[in-house]
Amino acid sequence: MPGRPRGNLRPAFRRWRAGRPFWGGLLLALGGAEILLTLKASLDVILHVGMQGLAGYLLPAVMLLCGLLVLFNPTQRLFYSVIGVLVSLGTWLTSNLGGFFVGLLLGVVGSCLAFGWLPDQEPRVSRRRRRKAARAAKTAIPAQP
Amino acid sequence: MTSSAEHTPERPEGPAATDVGDVPARRGRVRARRAAVMAVPAAAVAAGLAILTAEGALGVQFAISGMPFTVTATELNGTGFAQFGALDEMAEGSPNAGDTGGQVLVVTSVIKNATLTKLCQSVDLGGTNLVIRAGEGSQKVTASDLTTDSTQLSGDAAFNNIEIGNDASTLDKAGPLGRGPKGVFSQQSDTVHIANLRQTNYATTAGVFKLPGLKLGFSGSGC
Repeated sequence: MPGRPRGNLRPAFRRWRAGRPFWGGLLLALGGAEILLTLKASLDVILHVGMQGLAGYLLPAVMLLCGLLVLFNPTQRLFYSVIGVLVSLGTWLTSNLGGFFVGLLLGVVGSCLAFGWLPDQEPRVSRRRRRKAARAAKTAIPAQP
Repeated sequence: MTSSAEHTPERPEGPAATDVGDVPARRGRVRARRAAVMAVPAAAVAAGLAILTAEGALGVQFAISGMPFTVTATELNGTGFAQFGALDEMAEGSPNAGDTGGQVLVVTSVIKNATLTKLCQSVDLGGTNLVIRAGEGSQKVTASDLTTDSTQLSGDAAFNNIEIGNDASTLDKAGPLGRGPKGVFSQQSDTVHIANLRQTNYATTAGVFKLPGLKLGFSGSGC
């Protein structure tokens, strides 16, 4: 690995990433940002329409916030992802059909990934090797509680 | 490789990740079944929302802008109509600003209750157009508190009880939303009927927009 200081950053980032639902939080935050981008209506008109117009901005902002909180406070990920998925679905009604569906999709997928994430899992093993291991375990230790 | 080392029933306690390589051995992972617990209901709700919107049972709200977009409809009928001039400001440093200084002179039209037939809305994304069509069947598109900031408006119009030349701050026929700044020319009417409507808009917002027969897609040509 050439370039020692830069070579140190990558493993550090990987370790940071391994400790949190990285893709879930990132996708949720990106979804919120995408919806906000499609919304660029002049605030004047939004304020004219009132409460409902403001909700169009509020929901994607909450999505963005939930995505960032999933990343930086992963212990509370269940709460954030539940709020995230509900708000993502809500943007269909309030914000340009959920940023023309793209942001809604990103938000829902991100929330599901964050919800399904568990810390401290064993390294991934291919199915074939897992089956072989199970067979071997059965023959090696026949009586296991 | 030895079977005894690999198949110990329990993992050793403590910091299992001995960090041999640059990736720790034990790390967080998405469990598919756990994710599905949320994904399945979410997908069902999303599909339900889409179907309800396409049937016109559920209203959605639009607030798009930054780029001019075109709205056409074969027929627009509305009650409570107000129209006045206004100045729209783009976001700071917007690439669409050009030599206008980021300001666009627009005509703001407010319609309290509107029904539209064969609505078509398209945004030019450079090369391709995002096109939304609705209300092509027997059911019509309905909108409440429809506010549009347009630079061009054409069609065959008919108004009922029209008042032209009011001060924009004194308008009352389109409710509290249909009121403009002081000292600006404006007009209002009880009802409005426009055939072959064509608008170039910079912003549309609506309290509730019901879109029966919704079709959303990309197309080479706009409306």
